[in-house]
Amino acid sequence: MIKPIDDFVSRFGTKIGLDETFIVKRQGRYFLLDENVKRLASKDFCYAGVYLGEAKDGEFFPGFNLLNMIAQKNGNRINLEKKAEWLFICGRDVFGEGITTMIGSTKKGDYVLVLNSYGECLGFGKILRNLDGKRKGVAVENILDVGDFLRRER
Amino acid sequence: MQRLHSIGIELERVSFLDHGYWVCESKFSVGASSEYLLGLYSIQEAAAQIPVTLFTESENKTVLDACAAPGGKTVQLADSMHNTGAIVALDVNKQRLTALANQLERCHVKNTVVYLLDARDVSQLKVRFDRILLDLPCSGNFATDRNWFNRRTMEDVERNASLQREILAQTVKVLGDDGEIVYSTCSLEPEEDELNIDWAIKNLGLQVDEINCHGQRALTNVLGKSLDGSVARCRRIWPGRTQGFFVCKLKRRETA
Repeated sequence: MIKPIDDFVSRFGTKIGLDETFIVKRQGRYFLLDENVKRLASKDFCYAGVYLGEAKDGEFFPGFNLLNMIAQKNGNRINLEKKAEWLFICGRDVFGEGITTMIGSTKKGDYVLVLNSYGECLGFGKILRNLDGKRKGVAVENILDVGDFLRRER
Repeated sequence: MQRLHSIGIELERVSFLDHGYWVCESKFSVGASSEYLLGLYSIQEAAAQIPVTLFTESENKTVLDACAAPGGKTVQLADSMHNTGAIVALDVNKQRLTALANQLERCHVKNTVVYLLDARDVSQLKVRFDRILLDLPCSGNFATDRNWFNRRTMEDVERNASLQREILAQTVKVLGDDGEIVYSTCSLEPEEDELNIDWAIKNLGLQVDEINCHGQRALTNVLGKSLDGSVARCRRIWPGRTQGFFVCKLKRRETA
């Protein structure tokens, strides 16, 4: 059941080892429950425990809690400077000039977590070109950022 | 605090809350900062933060948030419980549940189950609760609604008061032994506040616990009626720097 999650996480060059017995899939959405929450979660709940993400049309789209779990397991990541951070949470792609550090893969097509200067996860994106060379121009495509919390409710 | 100060948000401690601050000045919307979006703080009216603080020890408890959306108090509850135990959060409005789910995800809440369910049907869940938060749908008050006097009628107030009694009556049935109910409204109408609590004392076997929080002791002589003296233990918060609010803590009546 959790293959879509494992496959997604592997694109960050890491694993998170979720216990499948505590994962519940409800209408395509995956939730991680602890014992207390599982006891109270009957089949018609709308939301429970930790929202991990949603499988839609064969593709997995993560929740922010899952991205934070990947961050704790040292998945591919970049840190941004302040201005680039703000542009990213406004839905913009990341320019190479705004990246202060890179850890893990810098290969085109791989996924990277996008963190701020405090190491907090702002979202994730896809590397658009190998990042080991020049820093100028669009480097990471924004796929999901925390500004989504505002955009969702419009 | 320092971090918010560094981005131009000036805060002042709310004297009657341990974790609440007034936003005195901000160069931008405090609901759109990256710190907010990362779940480092939430925005909630000051008086509305009081109910959750009245529970005695809620860690590792099973808690019902009976009218939960849009989730400000649910998040506050989860925080006060340090994400332990479990919260069951109910609401009847599907659209508002989306806002609730977003709040839970943004604030990294892990201990909550959300149902689209009328609080009056809570017994369907077959769960006994140690703590019940009843922040009830109400008529609101003029401090937060400029058109309040044009929009509200006595029939609205009566209808809301009746709904509140129904919810209270049904949720008492799922209250565990030694359980606590915190009842609150942002209405200043006695029908939705003191009169309902007086009714609960006389009809539901509940007693009002003494609480020590912001606000004045509630009314016991109101609209020509003399109420049970213990109703005075409730708190009535008149609008000022906060909105108008009413809150109390209820328990099953102790038998001698």
